[in-house]
Amino acid sequence: MKRISRALIGTSAGEKRARAGVVFPALTGLAVLLMSSNVGAAAAVDPARLPAAATAPVDFARDIRPLFESACVKCHGPEKAKNGFRLDTRAHALTGGDNGVDILPGASAKSPLVHYVARLVPDLEMPPKGKGEALTARQVGMLRAWIDQGAKWDREETSQPMKKSDWWSLLPLQRPAVPTPVNRKSQIANPIDSFIVARLDGKNLRPSPAADRRTLIRRVSFDLIGLPPKPDEIEAFVADQDAKAYEKLVDRLLASPRYGERWARHWLDVVHFGETHGYDKDQPRPNAWPYRDYVIRSFNEDKPYARFVQEQLAGDELFPGTRDGFEALGFIAAGPWDLIGHSEVPESKMDGKVARHLDRDDMVATTMQTFNSLTVQCAQCHNHKFDPITQEDYYSLQAVFAAVDRADQKYDADPKAGPKRKELTDRQTALTKRKKELDETILVRAGQTLVDLDKKITALSKAGKKGEAFGYHSSIEKLQNTAKWLQVDLGRSVSLGLIVLHPCSDDFNGIGEGFGFPVRFKVEVSDDAAFKNNVALAGDYTKEDFASPKLKALAVEAKGRAARYIRVTATKLAPRQNDYIFALAELNALATDGNNAALGAAVTALDSIEAPPRWRKLNLTDGWQPGASAADSGELAALRQERDQLVAKAVSAEDQKERAGIERDLAVVKTELEKLPLPSTAYVAAVHNGGGNFAGTGSKGGKPRPIYVLNRGSIQKPGKEVGPGTLGCLPGLPSRFELPPNHAEGERRAALAQWLTRNDNPLTWRSVVNRVWQYHFGRGLVETPNDFGRMGALPTHPELLDWLAVEFRDGGQSMKKLHRLIVTSATYRQSSASVAAFEKVDSENRHLWRANRRKLEAEAVRDAVLLVSGKLDPKMGGPGFRDFVIEKPEHSPHYEYHLHNPEDPRSHRRSIYRFIVRSQQQPFMTTLDCADPSMQVGRRNESQSPLQALAMLNNSLMLTMSKHFAAKLDKQDGDLPAKVRGAYYEAIGRALSPDEVSVLTRHAQQFGLTNVCRVLFNLNEFSFVD
Amino acid sequence: MNPSHQSPWHRPAPPSTSSFLSFAAVPQSRRDFLWRSGGGLGGIALASLLGGEKLLAADPAPHSAFRVPHFPPRAKRVIQLFMGGAASHLDLFDYKPELLKRDGQKSDFGEHVEAFQDGLGPWMKPVWPFQPHGQSGKMLGETVAELGKVVDELAFVHNLVGKTGVHSQATYLQATGFQLPGFPGMGSWVSYGLGSVNENLPAFVVLPDHRGFASNGPKNWDSAFLPGQHAGTIIYPGQENPITDLFPGPAGGFVSPASEAAAHDVLARLNREHAATREGDARLDARIRSYELAARMQLAAPEAMDLSKEPDHLLNLYGIKKNPPAWPKEINAEEEMDYFGRKCLVARRLVERGVRFVQVWSGNDNGFPRRNWDSHEDIRRDHGPLSMGFARGAAALIQDLKQRGLLDDTIILWTTEFGRMPSSQGGKGRDHNPYCFTNWLCGGGIKGGVTCGESDQWGYKPQDRNHPTTVYDIHATILHQLGIDHTRLTFRSNGIDRRLTDVHGEVIPGLLG
Repeated sequence: MKRISRALIGTSAGEKRARAGVVFPALTGLAVLLMSSNVGAAAAVDPARLPAAATAPVDFARDIRPLFESACVKCHGPEKAKNGFRLDTRAHALTGGDNGVDILPGASAKSPLVHYVARLVPDLEMPPKGKGEALTARQVGMLRAWIDQGAKWDREETSQPMKKSDWWSLLPLQRPAVPTPVNRKSQIANPIDSFIVARLDGKNLRPSPAADRRTLIRRVSFDLIGLPPKPDEIEAFVADQDAKAYEKLVDRLLASPRYGERWARHWLDVVHFGETHGYDKDQPRPNAWPYRDYVIRSFNEDKPYARFVQEQLAGDELFPGTRDGFEALGFIAAGPWDLIGHSEVPESKMDGKVARHLDRDDMVATTMQTFNSLTVQCAQCHNHKFDPITQEDYYSLQAVFAAVDRADQKYDADPKAGPKRKELTDRQTALTKRKKELDETILVRAGQTLVDLDKKITALSKAGKKGEAFGYHSSIEKLQNTAKWLQVDLGRSVSLGLIVLHPCSDDFNGIGEGFGFPVRFKVEVSDDAAFKNNVALAGDYTKEDFASPKLKALAVEAKGRAARYIRVTATKLAPRQNDYIFALAELNALATDGNNAALGAAVTALDSIEAPPRWRKLNLTDGWQPGASAADSGELAALRQERDQLVAKAVSAEDQKERAGIERDLAVVKTELEKLPLPSTAYVAAVHNGGGNFAGTGSKGGKPRPIYVLNRGSIQKPGKEVGPGTLGCLPGLPSRFELPPNHAEGERRAALAQWLTRNDNPLTWRSVVNRVWQYHFGRGLVETPNDFGRMGALPTHPELLDWLAVEFRDGGQSMKKLHRLIVTSATYRQSSASVAAFEKVDSENRHLWRANRRKLEAEAVRDAVLLVSGKLDPKMGGPGFRDFVIEKPEHSPHYEYHLHNPEDPRSHRRSIYRFIVRSQQQPFMTTLDCADPSMQVGRRNESQSPLQALAMLNNSLMLTMSKHFAAKLDKQDGDLPAKVRGAYYEAIGRALSPDEVSVLTRHAQQFGLTNVCRVLFNLNEFSFVD
Repeated sequence: MNPSHQSPWHRPAPPSTSSFLSFAAVPQSRRDFLWRSGGGLGGIALASLLGGEKLLAADPAPHSAFRVPHFPPRAKRVIQLFMGGAASHLDLFDYKPELLKRDGQKSDFGEHVEAFQDGLGPWMKPVWPFQPHGQSGKMLGETVAELGKVVDELAFVHNLVGKTGVHSQATYLQATGFQLPGFPGMGSWVSYGLGSVNENLPAFVVLPDHRGFASNGPKNWDSAFLPGQHAGTIIYPGQENPITDLFPGPAGGFVSPASEAAAHDVLARLNREHAATREGDARLDARIRSYELAARMQLAAPEAMDLSKEPDHLLNLYGIKKNPPAWPKEINAEEEMDYFGRKCLVARRLVERGVRFVQVWSGNDNGFPRRNWDSHEDIRRDHGPLSMGFARGAAALIQDLKQRGLLDDTIILWTTEFGRMPSSQGGKGRDHNPYCFTNWLCGGGIKGGVTCGESDQWGYKPQDRNHPTTVYDIHATILHQLGIDHTRLTFRSNGIDRRLTDVHGEVIPGLLG
C-alpha cells in the first residue's frame, strides 16, 4: 500500500509496526487494543459511507482468498510486498505493513484495509488506479463480514504461504455417510435424495412434488436418448399400472442404441471433436469418424470408465490389436491442427516448432481438462497462478505426447486380422531377408553380366507400369439407379472365351479398391454396334447387388460366342461419399485362342469423365489394371529366361533350391495377406511416418522429441529438458514416470492413462460424475466442469459429489448405472414449477428444490424436427453426412452450406453423424449454440437471440421439414382440428386446450397445415422441456 | 430445391458478373410486405417493450465483473479494414530510401534471418514511386495516393511485430489476440463490453471479401466462449438473404406476408400463455422478445444495405460504378474499387445506424491465381489492384464520415497479418515478414498526421527493437478510446479470466489526440 501520511495516522509507522509485532500472537483477543491504536485512520473515515457488512457466514477459501489473489496479492504478496504489507498468509495479513495494522478482527468498520478498498481514503484507494478494478460494494461487504467474523484463515494455516494442495478437489476421495433427514421418507427414493433433502431442510426449502408422467417421459427421453417420446409411448407410459413403470421406461431408454448417440455428443463437446483441421487450409479429415463411432459404441456397451479413459490415451499400448484400442486414439487427435505449420514448415524452423508446441499443448490441455478438470495449460509460461501446477508439470505432460502426431493411420478393424497380418508380415520380412542374402551371393558369383541384365529387366518392367492410368470413369450421378453403359469395339467379330472386368482402385474418400464397380450390371455381346439386334447376354448381375470385388477381376464366360462389340451396362451405380458413379479399370476380351482381343480396342460410352492420364475411356483397353505390375511382353520373358540360365550356372543347386522355396513361400504369404480384410483407416494420434516437412517421428523409430521447459512459454528460450510425467499436487500420487531409458513411446501415454485411472486420483472420479450430473440437471454439482481449480466454482453439494464419485468408482464404473441412479431419484423427478417463496431464498435453484426447465440443444432440436416430420433416418455409424457442398477444395475449401439440398435423405440422419467443419461452422447449429469444435466445451452457452429466431423460422431444413410434417398429417384420418391436435401431440407431447385448437385450426384454415407445423417448431414449448 | 413457388422475398439474385450489390429497387411486393407486417405485428410495440440492450446484455457471465465505460469514451464504434494474406508495408506506406539505393544488391541483414519460404534474395525497392502528401508530408506509395486526401487524419505505426509467419496463426493473432482458434474476435469483445446501440441490427457485422473468406474463415470473428450473440454477423449486401436465414429461402414458398404476420401473432399468443404458467423463467420472455426483434431486423437490415438512395457524387467518391460492366477475368483496379467501395459505403451506413463494430475484408484465401495480398511471386500484379481498390474506398469512407461528423467518434483501423520482406524472393515478389509491419488508425480521438514507431532502414525490424508495438497495444488503445480498460474487460472461461489482450498490451500515448 502507498505510504500513509503521518498526520493521518498520528503515530509513526515504525512504532506501529513494533506494536503490531508484539500483539500478533494473541491477536484476536487484543483487537480492542489495536483498534484504539488506529483511531487516527478510523477517524478520517465516516463509517456510514462504508458498504454494509454481509450478513451470511463467510468462507475464507471460497469468498475471500480469491478476492485477495485477484485484487491484492500481486503487489502485496511474496513477490512485491509493497509497503511491507502482504496478504498471502494470515500472519502477514494481521501483522500489517509499514503503516501499521490494517485488519482488526471483529471490527471491520475500523479496519484501514476496508477503508482503502472502499476507496474512502484519498491517495490510498486500493487497488490503485490502473492496478486493478475497484471492489464492488458486495465484495467489500464480504470482506467486512470476514473481518467481523474473526478474519479466520484456512483451517491449519499458520505462517506458511498458502498450501496450494489444500483444495477440495485435490483431497483424497472418501465415501461420506448418507444423511438421514427426519420425517422425509416419502421424499427419498435413493441416497441422492438424502443428500439433497438434508440440505433443503437446512435452508427451510422443500422438495417439489413429482412431475406428472407426460412431463416425465418427455424429460427423461430427451435426457437419455435426445429424442422426444412418440405419442403411443406417452400413452403406454401414462397408462402403465406397474409400480415399476418408470424404472422400466428408464431401462428401455438406456438399452436403446439412441442412448449412445445422445451421450457421445456430450463427450465430443468436451474433447472438441471436429472433422476438419481448422486454421488456414481447413481440409477435411474423412477418416475421423471412427472415433465418433467408438464413443457411441462405448456408451452403448456401458464400458467401464477406467477402460474408456485408458483406451483413449493409450489403447494401442494397453490393449494392442483391439479395434477400440486403436480407434479411441482419435481422442488425442480430436482437436484443431495447423496444416501449414506442419506441412509447409519443417520442425527445424521456429514456425515449425511453434506449430508443434501448440499441437502438444492442445493434447495436454484436452487430456487434463477432460479427465481431471484442471487447466494445466495455464502453466505454459509460468507456474499456474491459482492452482498447484508447476511449469515443469506442464512440460512433463507435453513429454508424454512428444512422439505422436495427428494423421490417418491404417489398422485392422477385425480383431483376428491384426495378429494374422503381423505373423504374415513378419514371415515376409524374414523370407525377404534370406532371399536378399542369397541374391547377394548370386550376384558375387554371376558378376557384371547379371548386373546389366537386371538393369534391363527393371527398365522394361517400369515401362509397363501405368499406375496413374486408373481407367474409365462415368459422369457423377445423384441417383443410384441411373443406367450407364460402355462398349468396346474389337474391330472384327471374335470368338470370345472370357470377358474379364478389372475393378479400379482410387483412394477417393477411402473407397479404395473396387472403386466405382457397379452394384448391378450386365455384360452383353453383339455384332450390332447399337445393341438392337442379335444381342446375347453373357453375364447378368442385375438381379441382386454385387458386393464390391475389391481388386478381384470378374471373369464372365462368353462360351465361344462370336461378336465384335462388348457392352457393359450398369443398372445400379457404385456409391461414393454423396453420389454415384460407374468406373472400370480394364476390360479383357480373351478370345478362344487365349489372346486379349480388346487390347487397344476403341471404347465408347454413354458418358465419360475424360481426365487424362488418370481417367479416360482409352484406359479401359490399355492393358493395365491395378495389381498388374509389369508388362508381360515377350522381351521381358526372354530376358528373365536368360537371367535364370545365368544364375543356374553361377550358383549351387542347393542355393537355387532354397531360393525357389523362398519364392514359393513368399507367394503363399502374399496370397494369404491378400485374403485378409483390407485394413481400415482412422484419423488418430500415433507415431507418424511421413515425408517432407511433416515427417513425424516414424523415421526415428518413434523416439520422442526432446521437451524443454520453455522460459515464458517461448520456443526461443528452452530451459531444462524434462521427461514424461504429470501433476505433482495429488497427495500420494507420483508426478514423474520412472520409465526405463529405452522405453517405447507408448509407455509414456500408458503411464499417464494408468495414473489418471488410479483409484486414488480423486479428480478423475469427481470430474466424470459431475459431468453426468450436469447433463441431467443443466448444472453440475460443480458449475465449472472443466475447472476444479481455484478459479472454478465450488461444489454446491460436496458430500453428494464425493458419494457419487466413490459409488461410481467402486460400483463397476458403469455410466448406465449412474444414469439410473440419478434419473430414478425423487430429486430428478420433481416438477419444474416455481414456488415464489423458495425463489426468494434460492432463485437459481442451486439446492434443487425443483427441476430445472431445460432448453433443447441444437442437436436435440434438429433431431426432434426430423423425427416428428417422419424423416429421421436411424442409420448408425460410418462416415458422416455432409450438409454442405465443398467448392474450391484445392486450397482452403469453401464449405457452402446454402448449396446443400435439405431434401437429400442422406442428411436426415441424427445430428451426431453430421460432418463437423471447424472453420466454417454450420450456421443453423451454431446459431442454436452448438459446441464450437475449436474449444473444449464443458458446458454450452445458452442464448436467445433474434438470429436464433430467424434460424428457427427460416432455415431451409426447418421449412422443408414443416412441409414433410404437414404431408404426414395430411395422410392421417380426421378433420382439420383433429390433425392440429395430432400435430401438437407429436411435436410437443400434450393435448391442446379447445382455445389453442381453435387458434391453430384457424391458422391452418387460412394458410395450410404447413404453416401450422412451422409455428409448432417455433413455439417455446417445443424448445423447452419442463 | 426448386424455387418454382416463389415467395415475395424471392427476386433473382443479381447476376454475379455485374455486381454483388444490386441497385434495383427492392421489389414493391417485398417492401410492402415488410412495412405492412412490421406495422401489423399485433401487440409488438416496437419502440418500448424491447429493451434490446437489456436482452442482448443478459449474459450468463457470472464471473465477469466489468462495468463500462471505465472512463469517458472518445469513440463509440470501430471499422476495421483487414488485408488478408499480408500486405507489404514497404510498397504502400513505409518509405525506405535505402532500398531505392540498394535495389538489386545482395541482401545482407547483418544477422541470421529465418525466411518463411526463400525470401532472402536481393534487396528490392518499392514497386511504385512514393510522393509526399498533406501537411504532414507523409510519403505514400503511388497506388494508395488516394489516401493522400486524408493523410493528415491518419496515424501510422510502422513498428508492429507479429509472432509467426504462418498465415492462419498470424490472422488469428491480429483478429482475436491469440494465435490459435477458440478466442473471440475484437468486435465480439466490443459487442460484449458495450452492447448494442440499435437492437434491430447486430452489434458486430462482418463484410467478407466477395470471393470468399481469408485464412480461418468465420473463426476470426467468432464469439468463442462469449455468448453467441456477440459473434460477428456476416452480411452479404445485395444477396437474396443478406444475413443467413433473414428471410425464408426457396424452401419457404408456403410462407406469405399474411401467413408470416399471422404466425407471429399465434406464436406470441401461445408463447405468452405458456410463459404465464411458468413464472420466474426469464428465458421464456427473452425468447418471445427475440422473435419480435427478428421481425424488426427483417426491416432494418435490408434498409441499411440499400445503396439506391445514395447520391451519384458519393458513389463516385467511393469508386462505385452504378452500372458495373462485366469485369474481366484478371484482377483489376476498377473492379477492386467497386467491390471495396461498396463494402465501405455499407460500413458507413451500418455505423450510422448504430452498429458497433464493422470488419471489412480485402482478399480471400491463399489460392491461385492470387486474390489476396500474399504476393510471393509478383507484388505489382496483386498489390496493385488490391491497394488501389482499398485506398479509394477507405479514403472515401474517411471523407464521408468526416463530413457527417461521424469521424470524431468512429475509429478506423487498417491492419493485416504481417509485413513483407525488404528483399525479393529472387523474382518480383516478397516473402513473409512477421518481424515488422504497418498499421494505421484514424478517427475516434486518434491523433492525425503522426507516426508512432518507426521501422529500421530496411523495414525489416523495428528501429528500436526493444520497444516494438504489438497487436495487444493496438487493441488496448482502441478499447481505451471506447472507454474500456483492456485489463478489466474480462470473461472467465475454463478457469481463466480471458481478455482481448491476453496478459499484455499498453495504450499507445502517441496515438491519442
